[in-house]
Amino acid sequence: MKDIKGTVLEVVLAVLPVTVFVLILQAVLRLPSLVMAQFLIGVVMVTIGLIFFLVGIHLGMLQIGEATGSALSRIGRVWILVLFGFLFSFVVTVAEPDVRVLATQVDAVSGGAISKDLLIIFVALGVAIFVGLAILRVVLGVPLRHLLLASYALVFILAVLAPAEFRAVSLDAGGVTTGPMTVPFILALGVGVASVLGGRSTSADGFGYVALGSVGPILSVLLLGVIYG
Amino acid sequence: MNELKIFDGFGHVLLEVAVALAPLLLLFLILQVWLLKFSRRRFIRVLKGFVLTFLGLSFFLQGVYVGFLPVGEIIGKTMGSLEFGWLIIPAGFLMGFVATFAEPAVRVLNYEVEKASGGYIPQQVMLYTVSLGVAASIALSLWKVWLGIPLWYLVIPGYVLAFILARYSSPSFVAIAFDSGGVATGPMTVTFILTMVLGFASALEGRDPLTEGFGMIAMVALSPILAVLSLGLLFSRKEKQDERYHAEV
Repeated sequence: MKDIKGTVLEVVLAVLPVTVFVLILQAVLRLPSLVMAQFLIGVVMVTIGLIFFLVGIHLGMLQIGEATGSALSRIGRVWILVLFGFLFSFVVTVAEPDVRVLATQVDAVSGGAISKDLLIIFVALGVAIFVGLAILRVVLGVPLRHLLLASYALVFILAVLAPAEFRAVSLDAGGVTTGPMTVPFILALGVGVASVLGGRSTSADGFGYVALGSVGPILSVLLLGVIYG
Repeated sequence: MNELKIFDGFGHVLLEVAVALAPLLLLFLILQVWLLKFSRRRFIRVLKGFVLTFLGLSFFLQGVYVGFLPVGEIIGKTMGSLEFGWLIIPAGFLMGFVATFAEPAVRVLNYEVEKASGGYIPQQVMLYTVSLGVAASIALSLWKVWLGIPLWYLVIPGYVLAFILARYSSPSFVAIAFDSGGVATGPMTVTFILTMVLGFASALEGRDPLTEGFGMIAMVALSPILAVLSLGLLFSRKEKQDERYHAEV
Protein backbone atom coordinates (compact mmCIF):
# COMPACT_ATOMS: atom_id res chain seq x y z
CA MET A 1 0.00 0.00 0.00
CA LYS A 2 2.84 2.36 0.88
CA ASP A 3 4.35 1.70 -2.55
CA ILE A 4 1.11 2.63 -4.28
CA LYS A 5 0.88 5.89 -2.31
CA GLY A 6 4.44 6.72 -3.34
CA THR A 7 3.65 5.95 -6.97
CA VAL A 8 0.55 8.17 -6.93
CA LEU A 9 2.57 11.03 -5.46
CA GLU A 10 5.33 10.50 -8.01
CA VAL A 11 2.92 10.63 -10.95
CA VAL A 12 1.00 13.64 -9.64
CA LEU A 13 4.27 15.54 -9.13
CA ALA A 14 5.28 14.76 -12.70
CA VAL A 15 1.98 15.74 -14.32
CA LEU A 16 1.16 18.80 -12.19
CA PRO A 17 3.78 21.28 -13.50
CA VAL A 18 2.70 20.74 -17.12
CA THR A 19 -0.96 21.17 -16.18
CA VAL A 20 -0.35 24.42 -14.28
CA PHE A 21 1.86 25.69 -17.11
CA VAL A 22 -0.87 25.08 -19.70
CA LEU A 23 -3.54 26.68 -17.50
CA ILE A 24 -1.41 29.82 -17.05
CA LEU A 25 -0.74 30.01 -20.80
CA GLN A 26 -4.46 29.53 -21.40
CA ALA A 27 -5.17 32.71 -19.41
CA VAL A 28 -2.86 34.61 -21.80
CA LEU A 29 -3.44 32.88 -25.14
CA ARG A 30 -7.16 32.10 -24.87
CA LEU A 31 -7.01 28.78 -26.71
CA PRO A 32 -10.25 27.16 -27.90
CA SER A 33 -12.12 25.78 -24.89
CA LEU A 34 -12.59 22.44 -26.64
CA VAL A 35 -8.83 21.90 -26.84
CA MET A 36 -8.56 22.80 -23.16
CA ALA A 37 -11.35 20.39 -22.20
CA GLN A 38 -9.59 17.64 -24.13
CA PHE A 39 -6.33 18.52 -22.43
CA LEU A 40 -7.87 18.22 -18.96
CA ILE A 41 -9.40 14.86 -19.88
CA GLY A 42 -5.97 13.89 -21.16
CA VAL A 43 -4.42 14.88 -17.82
CA VAL A 44 -6.78 12.55 -15.97
CA MET A 45 -6.13 9.67 -18.39
CA VAL A 46 -2.37 10.16 -18.34
CA THR A 47 -2.32 10.29 -14.53
CA ILE A 48 -4.39 7.13 -14.11
CA GLY A 49 -2.48 5.45 -16.91
CA LEU A 50 0.94 6.17 -15.43
CA ILE A 51 -0.13 5.00 -11.96
CA PHE A 52 -1.45 1.67 -13.34
CA PHE A 53 1.61 1.32 -15.52
CA LEU A 54 4.13 1.85 -12.71
CA VAL A 55 2.26 -0.40 -10.26
CA GLY A 56 2.06 -3.04 -12.99
CA ILE A 57 5.79 -2.84 -13.64
CA HIS A 58 6.43 -3.24 -9.93
CA LEU A 59 4.20 -6.31 -9.67
CA GLY A 60 5.25 -8.00 -12.88
CA MET A 61 8.23 -6.71 -14.78
CA LEU A 62 10.60 -6.17 -11.87
CA GLN A 63 9.93 -9.71 -10.64
CA ILE A 64 10.83 -11.12 -14.05
CA GLY A 65 13.95 -8.97 -14.35
CA GLU A 66 15.35 -9.86 -10.95
CA ALA A 67 14.49 -13.56 -11.13
CA THR A 68 15.93 -13.87 -14.63
CA GLY A 69 19.08 -12.01 -13.61
CA SER A 70 19.80 -14.41 -10.76
CA ALA A 71 18.71 -17.53 -12.69
CA LEU A 72 21.00 -16.65 -15.59
CA SER A 73 23.88 -16.04 -13.22
CA ARG A 74 23.42 -19.62 -11.94
CA ILE A 75 23.75 -20.94 -15.50
CA GLY A 76 26.90 -18.86 -15.81
CA ARG A 77 27.44 -18.93 -19.58
CA VAL A 78 28.48 -15.68 -21.20
CA TRP A 79 26.69 -16.27 -24.51
CA ILE A 80 23.40 -16.94 -22.72
CA LEU A 81 23.74 -13.64 -20.84
CA VAL A 82 24.46 -11.77 -24.07
CA LEU A 83 21.55 -13.47 -25.84
CA PHE A 84 19.07 -12.66 -23.08
CA GLY A 85 20.45 -9.14 -22.71
CA PHE A 86 19.67 -8.70 -26.39
CA LEU A 87 16.20 -10.30 -26.26
CA PHE A 88 15.04 -8.51 -23.11
CA SER A 89 16.28 -5.12 -24.24
CA PHE A 90 14.42 -5.53 -27.52
CA VAL A 91 11.06 -6.54 -26.01
CA VAL A 92 11.06 -3.88 -23.27
CA THR A 93 12.08 -1.06 -25.62
CA VAL A 94 9.21 -1.95 -27.95
CA ALA A 95 6.85 -1.42 -24.98
CA GLU A 96 8.52 1.75 -23.66
CA PRO A 97 5.92 4.60 -23.60
CA ASP A 98 8.35 7.43 -24.46
CA VAL A 99 9.61 5.52 -27.49
CA ARG A 100 6.07 5.06 -28.82
CA VAL A 101 5.14 8.72 -28.32
CA LEU A 102 8.33 9.92 -30.04
CA ALA A 103 7.75 7.55 -32.97
CA THR A 104 4.15 8.78 -33.29
CA GLN A 105 5.37 12.36 -33.54
CA VAL A 106 8.10 11.52 -36.06
CA ASP A 107 5.54 9.68 -38.17
CA ALA A 108 3.14 12.67 -38.03
CA VAL A 109 5.73 15.39 -38.65
CA SER A 110 7.35 13.50 -41.54
CA GLY A 111 3.91 12.93 -43.08
CA GLY A 112 4.32 9.17 -42.78
CA ALA A 113 7.69 9.13 -44.59
CA ILE A 114 9.39 7.71 -41.48
CA SER A 115 6.98 5.01 -40.35
CA LYS A 116 6.22 4.60 -36.66
CA ASP A 117 6.62 0.83 -36.48
CA LEU A 118 9.83 0.77 -38.49
CA LEU A 119 11.33 3.47 -36.26
CA ILE A 120 10.34 1.60 -33.08
CA ILE A 121 11.88 -1.64 -34.39
CA PHE A 122 15.14 0.10 -35.30
CA VAL A 123 15.33 1.90 -31.94
CA ALA A 124 14.73 -1.42 -30.14
CA LEU A 125 17.39 -3.17 -32.25
CA GLY A 126 19.85 -0.39 -31.42
CA VAL A 127 19.25 -0.76 -27.69
CA ALA A 128 19.37 -4.57 -27.89
CA ILE A 129 22.65 -4.75 -29.84
CA PHE A 130 24.34 -2.24 -27.56
CA VAL A 131 23.19 -3.87 -24.33
CA GLY A 132 24.58 -7.11 -25.74
CA LEU A 133 27.84 -5.29 -26.50
CA ALA A 134 27.85 -3.74 -23.02
CA ILE A 135 27.74 -7.21 -21.45
CA LEU A 136 30.53 -8.44 -23.73
CA ARG A 137 32.53 -5.34 -22.84
CA VAL A 138 32.43 -6.21 -19.15
CA VAL A 139 33.40 -9.83 -19.87
CA LEU A 140 36.30 -8.86 -22.13
CA GLY A 141 37.40 -5.98 -19.88
CA VAL A 142 37.25 -3.25 -22.54
CA PRO A 143 37.18 0.19 -20.85
CA LEU A 144 33.80 1.88 -21.20
CA ARG A 145 35.35 5.15 -22.32
CA HIS A 146 36.93 3.49 -25.38
CA LEU A 147 33.65 1.92 -26.43
CA LEU A 148 31.73 5.18 -25.89
CA LEU A 149 34.30 7.21 -27.84
CA ALA A 150 34.29 4.71 -30.71
CA SER A 151 30.48 4.74 -30.78
CA TYR A 152 30.24 8.52 -30.84
CA ALA A 153 32.89 8.69 -33.57
CA LEU A 154 30.72 6.30 -35.58
CA VAL A 155 27.70 8.53 -34.82
CA PHE A 156 29.43 11.50 -36.45
CA ILE A 157 30.48 9.48 -39.51
CA LEU A 158 26.95 8.13 -40.02
CA ALA A 159 25.46 11.58 -39.36
CA VAL A 160 27.37 12.93 -42.36
CA LEU A 161 26.07 10.11 -44.56
CA ALA A 162 22.44 10.09 -43.35
CA PRO A 163 19.83 12.47 -44.78
CA ALA A 164 19.13 15.58 -42.67
CA GLU A 165 15.67 14.37 -41.62
CA PHE A 166 17.19 11.51 -39.66
CA ARG A 167 19.92 13.38 -37.77
CA ALA A 168 17.91 15.25 -35.15
CA VAL A 169 15.44 12.37 -34.82
CA SER A 170 18.27 9.91 -34.15
CA LEU A 171 19.63 11.99 -31.26
CA ASP A 172 16.19 12.18 -29.68
CA ALA A 173 15.75 8.44 -30.11
CA GLY A 174 18.80 8.05 -27.88
CA GLY A 175 17.10 10.12 -25.18
CA VAL A 176 13.79 8.28 -24.92
CA THR A 177 15.06 4.75 -24.37
CA THR A 178 15.95 5.32 -20.72
CA GLY A 179 12.40 4.97 -19.42
CA PRO A 180 10.55 3.25 -16.58
CA MET A 181 10.34 0.01 -18.56
CA THR A 182 13.93 -0.36 -19.76
CA VAL A 183 16.08 0.83 -16.88
CA PRO A 184 14.94 -1.61 -14.13
CA PHE A 185 15.29 -4.54 -16.53
CA ILE A 186 18.72 -3.62 -17.74
CA LEU A 187 19.98 -2.92 -14.23
CA ALA A 188 18.67 -6.26 -12.96
CA LEU A 189 20.49 -7.94 -15.82
CA GLY A 190 23.64 -6.03 -14.93
CA VAL A 191 23.48 -7.51 -11.44
CA GLY A 192 23.28 -10.94 -13.04
CA VAL A 193 26.37 -10.29 -15.16
CA ALA A 194 28.28 -8.94 -12.19
CA SER A 195 27.61 -12.10 -10.17
CA VAL A 196 28.65 -14.38 -13.05
CA LEU A 197 31.95 -12.57 -13.30
CA GLY A 198 32.46 -12.70 -9.56
CA GLY A 199 35.65 -11.00 -8.44
CA ARG A 200 36.56 -9.81 -11.91
CA SER A 201 33.87 -7.16 -11.91
CA THR A 202 34.68 -3.86 -10.24
CA SER A 203 32.10 -1.20 -9.43
CA ALA A 204 33.09 0.86 -12.46
CA ASP A 205 32.18 -2.12 -14.66
CA GLY A 206 28.65 -2.39 -13.34
CA PHE A 207 27.49 0.76 -15.05
CA GLY A 208 27.45 1.83 -18.61
CA TYR A 209 24.49 -0.30 -19.72
CA VAL A 210 22.25 2.74 -19.69
CA ALA A 211 24.84 4.97 -21.39
CA LEU A 212 25.57 2.40 -24.10
CA GLY A 213 21.85 1.67 -24.41
CA SER A 214 21.31 5.29 -25.47
CA VAL A 215 24.09 5.35 -28.09
CA GLY A 216 22.68 2.24 -29.78
CA PRO A 217 19.43 3.80 -31.03
CA ILE A 218 21.26 6.91 -32.30
CA LEU A 219 23.39 4.64 -34.49
CA SER A 220 20.55 2.40 -35.61
CA VAL A 221 18.27 5.31 -36.57
CA LEU A 222 21.12 6.97 -38.51
CA LEU A 223 21.70 3.63 -40.22
CA LEU A 224 18.00 3.51 -41.09
CA GLY A 225 18.49 6.96 -42.63
CA VAL A 226 21.46 5.80 -44.68
CA ILE A 227 19.43 2.84 -45.96
CA TYR A 228 16.48 5.13 -46.79
CA GLY A 229 18.61 7.80 -48.40
CA MET B 1 -13.00 19.49 -34.32
CA ASN B 2 -16.42 20.33 -32.94
CA GLU B 3 -17.01 17.75 -30.29
CA LEU B 4 -15.07 16.24 -27.47
CA LYS B 5 -12.92 13.26 -28.39
CA ILE B 6 -12.30 11.00 -25.44
CA PHE B 7 -12.28 7.42 -26.61
CA ASP B 8 -11.84 8.08 -30.33
CA GLY B 9 -9.43 5.53 -31.68
CA PHE B 10 -9.13 3.79 -28.30
CA GLY B 11 -9.60 0.41 -29.97
CA HIS B 12 -6.58 1.15 -32.09
CA VAL B 13 -4.55 2.12 -29.02
CA LEU B 14 -5.55 -1.10 -27.22
CA LEU B 15 -4.37 -3.10 -30.22
CA GLU B 16 -1.13 -1.12 -30.39
CA VAL B 17 -0.39 -1.79 -26.71
CA ALA B 18 -1.32 -5.47 -27.00
CA VAL B 19 1.14 -5.87 -29.88
CA ALA B 20 3.77 -3.90 -27.94
CA LEU B 21 3.49 -6.08 -24.84
CA ALA B 22 3.06 -9.44 -26.60
CA PRO B 23 6.79 -10.15 -27.17
CA LEU B 24 7.54 -9.50 -23.49
CA LEU B 25 4.71 -11.78 -22.37
CA LEU B 26 5.89 -14.50 -24.74
CA LEU B 27 9.46 -14.25 -23.46
CA PHE B 28 8.17 -14.46 -19.88
CA LEU B 29 6.10 -17.56 -20.62
CA ILE B 30 9.07 -19.30 -22.24
CA LEU B 31 11.31 -18.40 -19.29
CA GLN B 32 8.63 -19.51 -16.85
CA VAL B 33 8.51 -22.99 -18.37
CA TRP B 34 12.22 -23.36 -18.99
CA LEU B 35 13.98 -21.47 -16.24
CA LEU B 36 12.01 -19.43 -13.71
CA LYS B 37 9.32 -21.92 -12.63
CA PHE B 38 7.52 -19.37 -10.44
CA SER B 39 5.02 -20.74 -7.94
CA ARG B 40 1.37 -20.53 -8.99
CA ARG B 41 0.79 -17.53 -6.70
CA ARG B 42 3.82 -15.62 -7.97
CA PHE B 43 2.96 -16.46 -11.58
CA ILE B 44 -0.54 -15.04 -11.15
CA ARG B 45 0.91 -11.93 -9.48
CA VAL B 46 3.13 -11.31 -12.51
CA LEU B 47 0.18 -11.82 -14.86
CA LYS B 48 -1.78 -9.24 -12.82
CA GLY B 49 1.19 -6.94 -13.31
CA PHE B 50 0.89 -7.47 -17.06
CA VAL B 51 -2.82 -6.62 -17.01
CA LEU B 52 -2.16 -3.41 -15.04
CA THR B 53 0.70 -2.46 -17.35
CA PHE B 54 -1.52 -3.08 -20.37
CA LEU B 55 -4.35 -0.90 -19.01
CA GLY B 56 -1.95 1.78 -17.77
CA LEU B 57 -0.06 2.06 -21.03
CA SER B 58 -3.33 2.19 -22.99
CA PHE B 59 -4.81 4.99 -20.87
CA PHE B 60 -1.53 6.88 -20.88
CA LEU B 61 -1.20 6.78 -24.67
CA GLN B 62 -4.88 7.63 -25.22
CA GLY B 63 -4.56 10.63 -22.88
CA VAL B 64 -1.43 11.72 -24.72
CA TYR B 65 -3.06 11.34 -28.15
CA VAL B 66 -6.33 13.16 -27.34
CA GLY B 67 -5.04 15.71 -24.80
CA PHE B 68 -1.33 16.40 -24.66
CA LEU B 69 -0.30 16.28 -28.31
CA PRO B 70 -3.08 18.63 -29.56
CA VAL B 71 -2.57 21.20 -26.79
CA GLY B 72 1.22 21.18 -27.08
CA GLU B 73 0.97 21.65 -30.83
CA ILE B 74 -1.56 24.47 -30.62
CA ILE B 75 0.42 26.34 -27.96
CA GLY B 76 3.60 26.06 -30.04
CA LYS B 77 1.82 27.14 -33.22
CA THR B 78 0.06 30.07 -31.53
CA MET B 79 3.31 31.33 -30.04
CA GLY B 80 5.11 30.86 -33.37
CA SER B 81 2.59 33.05 -35.18
CA LEU B 82 2.72 35.88 -32.62
CA GLU B 83 5.00 38.87 -32.85
CA PHE B 84 6.12 38.41 -29.25
CA GLY B 85 6.50 34.65 -29.88
CA TRP B 86 10.00 34.69 -28.41
CA LEU B 87 8.27 34.85 -25.02
CA ILE B 88 7.95 31.08 -25.36
CA ILE B 89 11.70 30.94 -24.58
CA PRO B 90 11.47 32.26 -20.97
CA ALA B 91 8.18 30.36 -20.56
CA GLY B 92 9.93 27.14 -21.60
CA PHE B 93 12.76 27.92 -19.18
CA LEU B 94 10.34 28.24 -16.25
CA MET B 95 8.44 25.12 -17.30
CA GLY B 96 11.65 23.08 -17.50
CA PHE B 97 12.82 24.31 -14.12
CA VAL B 98 9.58 23.54 -12.28
CA ALA B 99 9.07 20.17 -13.97
CA THR B 100 12.60 19.00 -13.14
CA PHE B 101 12.41 20.38 -9.61
CA ALA B 102 9.35 18.20 -9.02
CA GLU B 103 10.65 15.09 -10.84
CA PRO B 104 11.12 12.14 -8.44
CA ALA B 105 13.84 10.50 -10.58
CA VAL B 106 15.99 13.61 -10.17
CA ARG B 107 15.72 13.32 -6.38
CA VAL B 108 16.98 9.74 -6.53
CA LEU B 109 19.97 10.95 -8.56
CA ASN B 110 20.65 13.75 -6.06
CA TYR B 111 20.66 11.27 -3.22
CA GLU B 112 23.11 9.02 -5.10
CA VAL B 113 25.43 11.94 -5.81
CA GLU B 114 25.36 13.11 -2.21
CA LYS B 115 26.29 9.59 -1.11
CA ALA B 116 29.05 9.16 -3.73
CA SER B 117 30.58 12.51 -2.80
CA GLY B 118 30.53 11.72 0.91
CA GLY B 119 28.15 14.61 1.55
CA TYR B 120 30.27 17.21 -0.25
CA ILE B 121 27.57 17.79 -2.83
CA PRO B 122 24.34 18.42 -0.91
CA GLN B 123 21.12 17.24 -2.54
CA GLN B 124 19.83 20.81 -2.74
CA VAL B 125 22.87 21.97 -4.77
CA MET B 126 22.36 19.11 -7.24
CA LEU B 127 18.62 19.76 -7.43
CA TYR B 128 19.11 23.41 -8.40
CA THR B 129 21.97 22.61 -10.79
CA VAL B 130 20.07 19.90 -12.69
CA SER B 131 16.84 21.95 -12.76
CA LEU B 132 18.66 25.00 -14.11
CA GLY B 133 20.47 22.78 -16.62
CA VAL B 134 17.25 21.33 -17.99
CA ALA B 135 15.59 24.76 -18.01
CA ALA B 136 18.55 26.17 -19.99
CA SER B 137 18.43 23.23 -22.44
CA ILE B 138 14.75 23.77 -23.18
CA ALA B 139 15.25 27.54 -23.55
CA LEU B 140 18.26 26.93 -25.85
CA SER B 141 16.22 24.49 -27.98
CA LEU B 142 13.45 27.07 -28.44
CA TRP B 143 15.97 29.85 -29.09
CA LYS B 144 17.70 27.65 -31.70
CA VAL B 145 14.37 27.09 -33.48
CA TRP B 146 13.50 30.81 -33.24
CA LEU B 147 16.79 31.85 -34.88
CA GLY B 148 17.26 28.78 -37.10
CA ILE B 149 20.59 27.71 -35.57
CA PRO B 150 21.55 24.12 -36.55
CA LEU B 151 21.28 21.59 -33.74
CA TRP B 152 24.87 20.40 -34.21
CA TYR B 153 26.28 23.77 -33.17
CA LEU B 154 24.84 23.13 -29.72
CA VAL B 155 24.99 19.36 -29.39
CA ILE B 156 28.59 18.77 -30.52
CA PRO B 157 30.11 21.26 -28.03
CA GLY B 158 27.89 19.67 -25.36
CA TYR B 159 29.20 16.16 -26.03
CA VAL B 160 32.79 17.36 -26.37
CA LEU B 161 32.49 19.16 -23.03
CA ALA B 162 31.06 16.01 -21.43
CA PHE B 163 33.98 13.92 -22.68
CA ILE B 164 36.55 16.50 -21.53
CA LEU B 165 34.95 16.73 -18.08
CA ALA B 166 34.81 12.91 -17.90
CA ARG B 167 38.55 12.77 -18.66
CA TYR B 168 39.27 14.64 -15.41
CA SER B 169 36.58 13.12 -13.20
CA SER B 170 36.79 10.12 -10.92
CA PRO B 171 35.33 6.87 -12.37
CA SER B 172 32.50 6.79 -9.85
CA PHE B 173 31.32 10.21 -10.98
CA VAL B 174 31.61 9.32 -14.67
CA ALA B 175 29.49 6.29 -13.83
CA ILE B 176 26.72 8.28 -12.17
CA ALA B 177 26.88 11.03 -14.79
CA PHE B 178 26.48 8.94 -17.94
CA ASP B 179 23.70 6.88 -16.46
CA SER B 180 21.88 10.02 -15.30
CA GLY B 181 21.01 11.25 -18.80
CA GLY B 182 17.59 9.67 -18.56
CA VAL B 183 16.34 11.19 -15.32
CA ALA B 184 15.32 14.49 -16.87
CA THR B 185 13.67 13.12 -20.00
CA GLY B 186 10.50 11.85 -18.35
CA PRO B 187 7.19 11.16 -20.08
CA MET B 188 6.19 14.83 -19.85
CA THR B 189 9.22 15.99 -21.85
CA VAL B 190 8.45 13.91 -24.88
CA THR B 191 4.65 14.22 -24.73
CA PHE B 192 4.33 17.91 -24.07
CA ILE B 193 7.50 19.97 -24.39
CA LEU B 194 8.67 18.28 -27.60
CA THR B 195 5.23 18.76 -29.18
CA MET B 196 5.30 22.43 -28.22
CA VAL B 197 8.73 22.85 -29.84
CA LEU B 198 7.52 21.02 -32.98
CA GLY B 199 4.41 23.23 -33.19
CA PHE B 200 6.55 26.31 -32.68
CA ALA B 201 8.90 25.24 -35.51
CA SER B 202 6.04 24.51 -37.90
CA ALA B 203 4.49 27.97 -37.38
CA LEU B 204 7.71 29.88 -38.02
CA GLU B 205 8.48 30.68 -41.62
CA GLY B 206 11.37 28.80 -43.18
CA ARG B 207 11.69 26.22 -40.37
CA ASP B 208 11.34 22.51 -41.01
CA PRO B 209 10.05 20.86 -37.80
CA LEU B 210 11.51 17.51 -38.86
CA THR B 211 15.11 18.74 -39.08
CA GLU B 212 14.93 21.69 -36.67
CA GLY B 213 12.28 20.79 -34.12
CA PHE B 214 13.72 17.46 -32.99
CA GLY B 215 16.94 17.29 -31.01
CA MET B 216 15.43 18.86 -27.92
CA ILE B 217 15.34 15.61 -25.95
CA ALA B 218 19.02 15.00 -26.69
CA MET B 219 19.84 18.42 -25.28
CA VAL B 220 17.74 17.86 -22.17
CA ALA B 221 19.43 14.48 -21.66
CA LEU B 222 22.85 16.15 -21.76
CA SER B 223 22.16 18.58 -18.93
CA PRO B 224 22.20 16.22 -15.93
CA ILE B 225 25.38 14.62 -17.35
CA LEU B 226 27.13 17.99 -17.48
CA ALA B 227 25.73 18.98 -14.07
CA VAL B 228 26.98 15.83 -12.31
CA LEU B 229 30.42 15.99 -13.98
CA SER B 230 31.06 19.68 -13.30
CA LEU B 231 29.87 19.46 -9.69
CA GLY B 232 32.01 16.34 -9.34
CA LEU B 233 35.08 18.27 -10.48
CA LEU B 234 34.36 21.15 -8.13
CA PHE B 235 33.95 18.63 -5.35
CA SER B 236 37.24 16.83 -6.04
CA ARG B 237 39.11 20.14 -5.91
CA LYS B 238 37.50 20.97 -2.62
CA GLU B 239 38.41 17.54 -1.31
CA LYS B 240 42.07 18.02 -2.29
CA GLN B 241 42.15 21.41 -0.61
CA ASP B 242 40.73 19.86 2.54
CA GLU B 243 43.35 17.11 2.44
CA ARG B 244 46.08 19.71 2.16
CA TYR B 245 44.53 21.59 5.03
CA HIS B 246 44.43 18.49 7.19
CA ALA B 247 48.01 17.61 6.23
CA GLU B 248 49.18 21.03 7.30
CA VAL B 249 47.32 20.82 10.56
